[in-house]
Amino acid sequence: MEMTAQATTVPAIGGHGGEVRLQSLEKRFEDVVAVDSIDLHVGSGEFFSLLGPSGCGKTTTLRLIAGFERPTSGDVLLDGESLAAVPPDRRNVNTVFQSYALFPHLNVLDNVAFGMRYQKVGRKDRERRAREALELVELGDYAKRRPHQLSGGQQQRVALARALVLRPAVLLLDEPLGALDAKIRRQLRIELKALQEEVGTTFIFVTHDQEEALSMSDRIAVMHEGRVDQVGTPREIYEGPATLFVADFLGVANVMEVEVVGSGAAGCRVRVGDYELLAGCGDLGLTGSASVVVRPERLHVMARDQGGENCLPGMIDRTIFVGSNLQVMVRLATGALLQASVANDGVDLDSHEQGRPVSVHLPPDALRVLAPAGVTPAT
Amino acid sequence: MMGRGEVHRMSATTTPEPAAAPPAPPAPPMRPAPPVRPSRMPGWLGNPWGRPRWLRLTTFLYIAWSLLPVLAAVVFSFNDGRSRSVWQGFSTRWWWGDPNLSVFHDPIYTNALVHSLELAALDMLIATPLGFLLAIGLSRWRGRGSGSANFLMLVPLTTPELAMAVSLLLVFTQLSVLPFTAIALGTTAQVIGQVTFSVSYVVVIVRSRLAAIGPEYEEAARDLGASARQSLQHVLLPLLLPAAFASTLIVFALSIDDFVVTQYMSAGGETVTIPMLLYANARGAATTPALNAVATIMVLVTLVGVGGAYLVLRWFGHRSGEAQGDSAGQMGMDLTGME
Repeated sequence: MEMTAQATTVPAIGGHGGEVRLQSLEKRFEDVVAVDSIDLHVGSGEFFSLLGPSGCGKTTTLRLIAGFERPTSGDVLLDGESLAAVPPDRRNVNTVFQSYALFPHLNVLDNVAFGMRYQKVGRKDRERRAREALELVELGDYAKRRPHQLSGGQQQRVALARALVLRPAVLLLDEPLGALDAKIRRQLRIELKALQEEVGTTFIFVTHDQEEALSMSDRIAVMHEGRVDQVGTPREIYEGPATLFVADFLGVANVMEVEVVGSGAAGCRVRVGDYELLAGCGDLGLTGSASVVVRPERLHVMARDQGGENCLPGMIDRTIFVGSNLQVMVRLATGALLQASVANDGVDLDSHEQGRPVSVHLPPDALRVLAPAGVTPAT
Repeated sequence: MMGRGEVHRMSATTTPEPAAAPPAPPAPPMRPAPPVRPSRMPGWLGNPWGRPRWLRLTTFLYIAWSLLPVLAAVVFSFNDGRSRSVWQGFSTRWWWGDPNLSVFHDPIYTNALVHSLELAALDMLIATPLGFLLAIGLSRWRGRGSGSANFLMLVPLTTPELAMAVSLLLVFTQLSVLPFTAIALGTTAQVIGQVTFSVSYVVVIVRSRLAAIGPEYEEAARDLGASARQSLQHVLLPLLLPAAFASTLIVFALSIDDFVVTQYMSAGGETVTIPMLLYANARGAATTPALNAVATIMVLVTLVGVGGAYLVLRWFGHRSGEAQGDSAGQMGMDLTGME
């Protein structure tokens, strides 16, 4: 889209980044609690993602911020002011819908100019700003087309231009890349992030795609059953999941049920079957039964005779070649199945063939102790 | 724990093949294909890839059966003689030529024609906007009572028309309570009767269109700063335009076509419509082919109404890309210059 150079000189889109605060926000539909008392703070100019599986309440949260739904209790503050009594058309917040919702009876230019007629912008200024916004998303030549004559990616950009041309304090995006195919999605991910940095608007981005959230966000809130499980930077969330759900939802996580048998300065000792391991991070104060999670890329698969501290014996159950790496499934002597990711740096495939006895090294700093499934940590 | 026998199963796929591979071993003998059981049906019928001949024939027969009587009526409107069953040569005397008895000269026919169009116009003007309001209202009404209201809206569609007509007659003539006493039989009662049943059709058409549009466009409009009224005016109504055209034309066709309610609500010769005229004179010995001409006009007018509704809906569909359509529709849209 090459909007980098232009956006700094043309003030067609973008505004100050608004600060959003959700206070004990709750939304019930009949007996269903869609959003269960959420507290969140989204900083000015932040790219903030709400990540979670479908039905976790992320879209409802977005609709509460936009004003399409009224909270059952709690409040949404924009730059410190309550939005409780403000209808959606009076909120300095705009939305990019999952289906884009471009008006089919208007051409692209009129779609982009639509919102300005309610802002007392003169007809000429409206058209000029709409054209500039279209130029910024590289659709200047498509002004007279109808929305349905554009591709999905182009429609998405029109929806972005239509919202950003109003210079909102906050832009809400509801799975805006969901309807596109994988290749365009990856490309738009980069462009969307660049655009956000350029215009400085606060973006609140709803997605169920963990890769999308990780690659674009400044911070992520992982939602689960109407609650926020964890808020943090992509790295914090990926490497330091606070709950089993977060660990499992973001990428592949190996989970082992363990018994905590002691703790020391370096971490706590956990028992897996007949073996004892040192776990170096997570909730080290736990006692009794717990779960241990470890990412596939942090495991080392070695020949059986190379084992040592923090190693578990096993046998290769299956090896899947995925190009850049090998997914090695190791059946441990305890019966558990671990997935290890081995970088394909010219690694000898024979040494990972099925049935080969191996030793899996689990570095203490990669072993994360969490409350077992079904138990919510007292945060 | 682990099947030792399976250990080497995958090794063949992971071991790289030597560059000069030995010639492939001979392919194992193929199992013979199961014998094709001969069909008992004749080839042209049993062939599953054949054309659907029976379907075509049935369809053709039905169309012929339904169109031939109409065609016969149309043909005899051009008869030169007074007979409506014996062909006596071509003429347009019953359409125009006869200064007293042709459709456009005999006051019985012209009055009926004018009154039919008058009722249709009033029905369109009242039932369409009313149906729109009801449809939009019903689609926004959530909670208590909305379910029964939705159901009750459909009752006029399923009530036997005769039952409705008789009930209306009783209400208008027997009940001495306002507002019913204010309604006299004749044009007023006829319009009210027609509106009563045609509103349901408008509601059904508009509601299905509303369901297809969905709530998102209106939310987008609100999001972009339009008030509730503005989003209705600038987004929802333009999107409902095809439904407006379609329902207007359907109401027109319903009104022109209606006999039962219109007959019961009528009051004397001034309020006779074409269907009433047709009913009264169809078997009369003195009836001329001018009646056939009136019937032909009815057929044409109804055809134009319903056909027009279809074309308008299709055109709007192409315009907004709902039916990802043929290039003709696309071209038509480009030529009209969009706005």
